[in-house]
Amino acid sequence: MTLLLAAIVGTLFGSGAYLMLKPDLLRIVAGLVLVSNAAILTLLAAALQRGRAPILPLGDGPVSDPVVQALALTGIVIGLAVTALLFALAYCVYLTSETIDLDELSRLETRREQELEEEELSV
Amino acid sequence: MSPVLPLLFAWPAAVILALLDSRRRWVAWLAVAALAVVFAAALALLVDVLGNGPRTTVAGGWPDGVGIVLSADALGATFAVVSVGVVLVAVLFEVIGGTESRSFGALALFLATGLCGLFLTGDVFNFYVFFELSMIAAYALTTYGEGARQLRAGFIFAVVNLLGSFIFLIGVAGLYRVTGTLTMDLVAQRIAAVDPGATVPIAVALLVAFLVKLGLFPFHFWLPTVYASARPAVAAILGGALANIGAYGLLRFGADILPGALRAGAPVLLVLGVASLLYGSLQAVARRSAPEVLAYSSIGQVGYVIVALAIGGPIGYAAAILYAVVNSLNKALLFLASELRGWLVGFAFVVGALSVAGVPPAAGFLGKLEVFRAGVEQGALLLSLLVLGSALSFVYMFQIYQHDFWRDARSAQVSRRAVGAVTASLGLVIVALGIWPEPLLAVSRRAAAALTGADG
Repeated sequence: MTLLLAAIVGTLFGSGAYLMLKPDLLRIVAGLVLVSNAAILTLLAAALQRGRAPILPLGDGPVSDPVVQALALTGIVIGLAVTALLFALAYCVYLTSETIDLDELSRLETRREQELEEEELSV
Repeated sequence: MSPVLPLLFAWPAAVILALLDSRRRWVAWLAVAALAVVFAAALALLVDVLGNGPRTTVAGGWPDGVGIVLSADALGATFAVVSVGVVLVAVLFEVIGGTESRSFGALALFLATGLCGLFLTGDVFNFYVFFELSMIAAYALTTYGEGARQLRAGFIFAVVNLLGSFIFLIGVAGLYRVTGTLTMDLVAQRIAAVDPGATVPIAVALLVAFLVKLGLFPFHFWLPTVYASARPAVAAILGGALANIGAYGLLRFGADILPGALRAGAPVLLVLGVASLLYGSLQAVARRSAPEVLAYSSIGQVGYVIVALAIGGPIGYAAAILYAVVNSLNKALLFLASELRGWLVGFAFVVGALSVAGVPPAAGFLGKLEVFRAGVEQGALLLSLLVLGSALSFVYMFQIYQHDFWRDARSAQVSRRAVGAVTASLGLVIVALGIWPEPLLAVSRRAAAALTGADG
């Protein structure tokens, strides 16, 4: 089970990292979502044990570790919040620059800087 | 005094401000007032901790070992005071100039909440939560002004640092796996018995996360775009308050929780620190616009903190803490002053420049002196590289001073007196700390003692 989880985490993280290298803002966000899920899965894998749900009153037999489940829940909430924030940011970038391609964005940036420099020189 | 107190003020204030419009004068001043109260609470906590030793509370009245631990020692309280102080000055600066966005005040307060929380927590996962809280506020703050440049910088900043955060989270999962606890004290106790083969990958994950945050070479690639594109007040918050997370994280997780891994990794840190120092300084010399020079200077200056941390021991840690504090004040001052003109601002900028270059009477002299003192035993090569970095910082700081304040002096408009006065008063604080250095030295030694366990 640990080995399986490790393989899944590795695949998720690797695919996420690959997507983050793309110049498209939406692919970058998707990559980050994969990486965040890899991190959450690692949290869960950190305390793998068989047992019943840790709800009071505790019966007989082993109980699974409630701490990592709480951590994973928190991690999921934070992951959701940052995904929403990133999508909002990407949308704002699109509204101001009318593109979500990073290469295009840096071309725009360079052009703007050149214009500024020329202005400065002409003054 | 409970370490919860600064949080108790910051969190409700942030929530209330989120409902209000910061573009109104009274709301903006409310944000300043709330930050001033949080700053006062953090300062009172620091005084209390210095007088009576570390303070610990378990949140929610849970028994020990079950609830989340909040603890304030000299190190955390010092960083909390400095960071909240920088946020306070930057927000005051922006409010006097006129806030342009609805959410500015609330975001600044959320950032302060996150910073107080992560400096005053005794729990590894709680550290991550507060760390994310302050970072998310920072991502949103970076886009303040909402120009195309700020938005693009904000996106890059968010993506790179989120990747760092998730790597940190993986490190936290590893720590829980090998020690079975999340309380920092217990982790530190149990980690000694753990196989080094397991601690090294965890330590590397944590190190990468904090170095990304700190913007150390070769993890610096996001930093110049972000610092140079953000508005001066926001850049001051990023460079002066947020970068402290990286320095504090390395000190807390390196020196306090994983001392064995830190000792093993010291040569790597030393090389990275010196490389960052030289790279940042050389790049800064080659730039012409003030925000860019300051951004590269930040990369160079954190090199000193890392070198001091790598040297280690009470002297090294004290030097790292002192330099981190002085550096955050310098950066806050310089970013704020970088786009203003007038004699008051000129004075403030010179103070900041002298402080970065390490010339007395500015406090930066003290920081450099302590780092050199720690480095003396490491041999002549390291010392000469440190001096070289210092000389380069003198060159680039006065290059931009000359370029911005002398050449453009006639054409540029003199900025408003009140805004100039804010930066000048920050300059006065730096000079005062340089002239009367005993309190700062004493605090940094106490904080280092808290790390090495000499302080109970």
